Amino acid sequence: MRTQTLDAFQVIADPSRRHMLQLLSKKSLTINSLAGNFDMSRPAVSKHIKVLYSAGFISITGIGRERHCILKQDGFNELQDFINYFDNFWITKLKKLQTILNNKSK
Amino acid sequence: MQKEIKHTFYFSQTPEEVWAYLTKPELMEQWLMPSDFQPVVGYHFRFTNPGGLTFTICEVLEVKPFTDLSYVWKNDWSKTKTPFTSKVNWTLTSIEGGTELLLVHSGFELFKDLTAHNGGWIFLCNKLGELLKASAK
Repeated sequence: MRTQTLDAFQVIADPSRRHMLQLLSKKSLTINSLAGNFDMSRPAVSKHIKVLYSAGFISITGIGRERHCILKQDGFNELQDFINYFDNFWITKLKKLQTILNNKSK
Repeated sequence: MQKEIKHTFYFSQTPEEVWAYLTKPELMEQWLMPSDFQPVVGYHFRFTNPGGLTFTICEVLEVKPFTDLSYVWKNDWSKTKTPFTSKVNWTLTSIEGGTELLLVHSGFELFKDLTAHNGGWIFLCNKLGELLKASAK
């Protein structure tokens, strides 16, 4: 797996990464405890964490000797933009339809 | 988590008249996008997105004349690195003085596993909730 920067959709397209975000949404976890939830090699977990980090879904903070993963809003904003895009799309289109029909009935 | 888009609009026309604007390509084009839509369950069609270079790929799921229409709504998976699929539902209800039109755009597959008990998404829901409230009539 390459660790190039993926966009938000590519990031959450992977089930393991979605699961990581779910776990982190309950509480922040150390990389070790996060890895404990997955049946994959430690380097594989690290790569997923790197992807989440690069795309702004998590931040990594050193507390003592441990590194903690904490959910971050930036990555989620892109997903929100996606929903907002369609929300605005439909409002605009439906208003247009309303205008057309209103003019028609005059 | 609110993972769908919902809008209710009111028209002074009958459901039959509004239905025509949802199902006749020459009328759909006036307010939505050009398409080769046909009101036949299982029919594959596409909308030409603004700019004319990309398409929204669709398949008719349900047709109940003058009351219900739904179709699959996804982007062109052969051309995108970020495929998504979703569903668009139209419900027309005859009301006094016209028609109530309900749009539900839902089933964004991308969000599937992220929706349950996910604190990280609460801010998203709130924001979307406000948005929907603001636009609801």
